[in-house]
Amino acid sequence: MAGAIIENMSTKKLVIFGVILLLFQAFSFMVGGLIAPGPTSVVHYLATKCVDTAKSHQSTKWFMPWGPNQCEKIRTFDEAMAKKIEANNIVFAVHIPLPNKEMSPWFQFILVILQFDIAFKMNNQIEDGALATVDVGLAYRDDSLSEWTEMAHSLEQRKLNCNFTTIKTYENEGRYYECDLLPFMEVGSVAHKYYLLNIRLPVHERKKVNVGIGEIKDIRLVGIHQNGGFTKVWFAMKTFLTPSILIIMIWYWRRITLMTRPPVLLEKVIFALGISMTFINIPVEWFSVGFNWTWMLLFGDIRQGIFYSMLLSFWIIFCGEHLMDQTERNRFSIYWKQVGPIVFGSFCLFIFDMCERGVQLTNPFYSIWASDVGTELAMAFIIVAGICACLYFLFLCFMVFQVFRNISGKRTSLPAMSKARRLHYEGLIFRFKFLMLVTLFCAAMTVIFFIISQVNEGHWHWGDYTVQVNSAFFTGIYGMWNLYVFAIMFLYAPSHKRYGDNQSSDPGASSGEEIQLTTTITHVDGPTEVYKMMGKDSQE
Amino acid sequence: MITLGCVLLLCGLARVMATYPIWWSLAVGQQYSSLGTQPILCGSIPGLVPKQLRFCRNYVEIMPSVAEGVKIGIQECQHQFRGRRWNCTTINDSLAIFGPVLDKATRESAFVHAIASAGVAFAVTRSCAEGSATICGCDTRHKGPPGEGWKWGGCSEDVEFGSMVSREFADARENRPDARSAMNRQNNEAGRTSLNDNMFLKCKCHGLSGSCEVKTCWWSQPDFRVIGDYMKDKYDSASEMAVEKHRESRGWVETLRPKYNYFKPPADGDLVYYETSPNFCDPNPETGSFGTRDRSCNLTSHGIDGCDLLCCGRGHNTRTEKRREKCHCIFHWCCYVSCQECMRVYDVHTCK
Repeated sequence: MAGAIIENMSTKKLVIFGVILLLFQAFSFMVGGLIAPGPTSVVHYLATKCVDTAKSHQSTKWFMPWGPNQCEKIRTFDEAMAKKIEANNIVFAVHIPLPNKEMSPWFQFILVILQFDIAFKMNNQIEDGALATVDVGLAYRDDSLSEWTEMAHSLEQRKLNCNFTTIKTYENEGRYYECDLLPFMEVGSVAHKYYLLNIRLPVHERKKVNVGIGEIKDIRLVGIHQNGGFTKVWFAMKTFLTPSILIIMIWYWRRITLMTRPPVLLEKVIFALGISMTFINIPVEWFSVGFNWTWMLLFGDIRQGIFYSMLLSFWIIFCGEHLMDQTERNRFSIYWKQVGPIVFGSFCLFIFDMCERGVQLTNPFYSIWASDVGTELAMAFIIVAGICACLYFLFLCFMVFQVFRNISGKRTSLPAMSKARRLHYEGLIFRFKFLMLVTLFCAAMTVIFFIISQVNEGHWHWGDYTVQVNSAFFTGIYGMWNLYVFAIMFLYAPSHKRYGDNQSSDPGASSGEEIQLTTTITHVDGPTEVYKMMGKDSQE
Repeated sequence: MITLGCVLLLCGLARVMATYPIWWSLAVGQQYSSLGTQPILCGSIPGLVPKQLRFCRNYVEIMPSVAEGVKIGIQECQHQFRGRRWNCTTINDSLAIFGPVLDKATRESAFVHAIASAGVAFAVTRSCAEGSATICGCDTRHKGPPGEGWKWGGCSEDVEFGSMVSREFADARENRPDARSAMNRQNNEAGRTSLNDNMFLKCKCHGLSGSCEVKTCWWSQPDFRVIGDYMKDKYDSASEMAVEKHRESRGWVETLRPKYNYFKPPADGDLVYYETSPNFCDPNPETGSFGTRDRSCNLTSHGIDGCDLLCCGRGHNTRTEKRREKCHCIFHWCCYVSCQECMRVYDVHTCK
């Protein structure tokens, strides 16, 4: 019966292995921090106010804010008032990107946020719960001379959530309201070079469309896309990591199949973790550079979701399989109580994601947050997912606590064993605890870097060097979980070394115990000695 | 003797004109009313120093925004000072658009310089977002062919570009070693600092399922009124300075130091001045004061816009005025207001 590598490897080799992993870890941080630019870029757009001079609103006409064939513009609405231009004839035009630049498939996605500049006026205030109705069209073209091709057209409603922070007096007329950002558009692939948005705010008095929305002075859009450089570094990293994990996975499974006994649950779960890691690693995003696959964003979410739920399930099962007071193990069905919340929570998030990003495949302007029902539904999904996450962590903490309690309980019986065996068991316990600590460390690092990225500006300056902290965070954490999965597969693979071979100092006692181990707990034959030791304990 | 006097006078005039930012007349000049529709001829802008002229020729496409910036600065100044003895009046038929007020190194000069420089930075940033200028922000930080920098790592924020333009253009003339130049430099910078200080951060989460796993933040420009309010506070707390002369290798250099040691020395964003303001009560062509005669005042106010203070104790006249006004208006977000006409009676108080 062979133990796992983690138990049979010498401390020296283990240290070397750890150091190599740490080097790779440092490398993955440095790739993000020093080579990659920031993960995303922000471009500010101020909509140009164009005048639609045509009497009938032909939908085929597109209005360009600048360049050749630019539209007839007005600077302010006072001008429109003087020229007696109707609201329905005003088109807000935004060209993405700004002049002399072009979009690239490497940008992966475009996210646009809408912001209204609404001036306060005593007798034209924003009504409570005012809805802005926007008639918006999106078009694209691939060279700066060809015709625009329509990509999407929609009539959207957005709730104006504005408040006026100063006193509402005539003195303060002309100040702007402070309005919440409105989600506007999300495109999952950037296959074209130029995009054009034409926004209208149609007014229909009887239907109460766009009435009581205050004095809109300007429409601002904020465009967010992933930086091309970051995408390249990210793809390169994925392309490098895929074979590494794949190879160790194949190696791991080969070791398992070489054994005489069938694989136990823990080994299967580790393998499944490897598969989900490979699934997230496989750089299918390369195709997004060549093909217009808008579902890539959604697919990425799904892959990430699968990996997270797999990782969370792995922790539960890892702890559970090292628990001593459970007589029945090695069956997936007994973990339904713990894995259930994970599956259910992930399912909720999946439904939510389908409602938001799934619908955006057909209508890029759709936002679940735009309508009241949608907001409630989305909140419900998120709250349920949150409750599931809390439940999960309670379970996990409880299990970890139990494992550690049982280990320390086991320690009290250690002095009764022979010296060599005791030392060996102590080593096993130490290594088990060490792995638990590594897990904890990885989780803590993720949380810490998450917090840093939330409060940090995004880059630090060291002399002439700019360190992109957020990129370092992304590549570093991604690399870290890859190394984690790699290490687990490596360390928990069955070892070739025969356990007990080099313990010749007390052969009698050793073989005696060995017999006891093998005879009494054959049905709980497990991958590690700690695992078996605990199983034995529960048998007694 | 007469010719000598003339020469002296001319020199004096030229000296005054050299310190006066005549290019501000861009903002009020009729010929620039159609800004943005036709190109600006750099040669036709009065009072540019060679560096400014060079800048104008290189970046001619952002000159309309520069002009627009000065304009919104002046409008904001007039809004902030609307009820005060000096109300930021501009003169239409002169290149020195504020008249001789700015010749003295007063608080008012400090404010006008700061708000104009903030206005330029603000308007340039805005025009960058509008796409009317093509050179904004995207410096070639990343080596490689043009456009690669943008594709690799995006562009820097437009705000930095706006401040850069303001610094290059508005400060171009303030390089003399005299005290006034030092003061203008400090005040121009104060304007830009106030713009930067009032930027607000907005963020959007767009990670897995819209979580904050990936979060993008950006700085937004506030409404220019906010800058105006902030600058007004700075005006009220401006530091009075004293001029110091040093002998340096390039000649006499004037620097400023705080006049009162027990006050905190001015920081980057603070306004400085070293001459006291005239009281602006009576018209005085030398100081540029227009006086407050015939200005309307607020009878109920005890502040500076109240009739007592604004009229400098000379008292006020009251007359009743009937005005035809629009009322019961129904607004639509743009361009169309349906109103009734009402007759209202007002008491108008004007200073004697």
